[in-house]
Amino acid sequence: MTHEQASELLAAFALYALDRDEARAVSAHMRSCAECQRELAPLQEVAGQLGSAVRQVSPPPGLREAVLAGIQVRQDVIQVRRGWVVGLAAAAAILIVVLTGLGVSLSRQLAGLSTRLAAQEQVLALLAAPSARSVSLTGSVTAAVRFVYDPDRGRGALVVSDLRDPGREFVYQLWLIAGTQPESAGVFRPAPGQPVVLPLAVDFSRYQAVAISVERAPSGALQPTTTPILIGKL
Amino acid sequence: MRTGASLAVVERPIRPSAVEWEMERGTTQADHEATLLARIARRDAAAFETLYDRYGRAVYSLALRLLGNPQAAQEVAQEIFLHVWRGAGEFIPARGSARSWVLSLAHHRTVDALRRQRVRAVEPLAEGDLGAGGGADVVDQALRGVEGATVRSALMTLSREQREAIVLAYYGGYTQQEIASRLRIPLGTVKTRIRDGMQRLRALLAQTEEERL
Repeated sequence: MTHEQASELLAAFALYALDRDEARAVSAHMRSCAECQRELAPLQEVAGQLGSAVRQVSPPPGLREAVLAGIQVRQDVIQVRRGWVVGLAAAAAILIVVLTGLGVSLSRQLAGLSTRLAAQEQVLALLAAPSARSVSLTGSVTAAVRFVYDPDRGRGALVVSDLRDPGREFVYQLWLIAGTQPESAGVFRPAPGQPVVLPLAVDFSRYQAVAISVERAPSGALQPTTTPILIGKL
Repeated sequence: MRTGASLAVVERPIRPSAVEWEMERGTTQADHEATLLARIARRDAAAFETLYDRYGRAVYSLALRLLGNPQAAQEVAQEIFLHVWRGAGEFIPARGSARSWVLSLAHHRTVDALRRQRVRAVEPLAEGDLGAGGGADVVDQALRGVEGATVRSALMTLSREQREAIVLAYYGGYTQQEIASRLRIPLGTVKTRIRDGMQRLRALLAQTEEERL
């Protein structure tokens, strides 16, 4: 995109009224164009004023709690301890078959936290589904990481059996890739000697791949800042 | 969890209208807000809490205005603040105020949600609704939700066509292309209206600001 083309689109860019490709092209041009950056700033202020001018409504009280809880590292990550035995009737029987196939030993000890309990149930239900699929993530590191998902019901889980510790300053971040656009699906740390499971509920028809990158602790990044170390095609 | 300390620091605006916004942009407040985002980029949870108390209402109100549904607005607001937390490092003070950065992030994520909704569900505006003068109703309805007096009167100063294009883009979440096909006018015309209208708004709002100083 030439400077003239980008410059003509800045007002629409500030209003977020360009289609995806155009917006991307303008962003790309702007990174190296000080003039466009200067021109955009006041237009963005105008857009901000349009946003500030709407009728002000108090958010429901639960929003504050939910927002503040959102910046904590995910609480619903399950750590499956090796050596534990599962006896959870029918669903567990299938879980044993599938997880054994994934090289994961099993746990019957449901974590006390309700979030973890719900996540475990979600994974059990997922693995019991006949339409469930499983892909192995591969890349620049040696690891045992699989992604299991059920496209029909929009449920999935990342199963991390073996992945080296990223160090105290970093976490792993899981991304769902829609076209060329990665969307964060949460951050996690591998537990030494224990598999980790990250449950997800999303519409898988939107995504073509899952990827894992190393990002800054504790909360990761908005967009990947490093090359993904592992990728799996859905 | 609210502490006495954060209560003392946070001035929760009762009605953050455009007027107040312009005052905030003054000096110390704007500097303070840029610092707030820099602290959030360093993973300062207390700064994030302060930011929420300052913008939670504005962000939620914008999402509610565009989506029209409290449940959807709440979900998007959560997503927006998570983006603020993760993306605060991308804020560059030289390129604009912290407030417009937060609001533009809020607007983008809300419009994304709106567009996803439109793809999935029934179109809220039937084809042709905006044609043959029908666009005026949609614009009037969107304008009824605009209460900031400064912005409102600035919008009313634009030509009807410019106002229509800008309102459909910002409050309706439509792209230039969508506006063109809905109004059944050439894309080039929409581009011109948006460009000229935004320049006019920019001049009007800057002028009001000067009068206030």
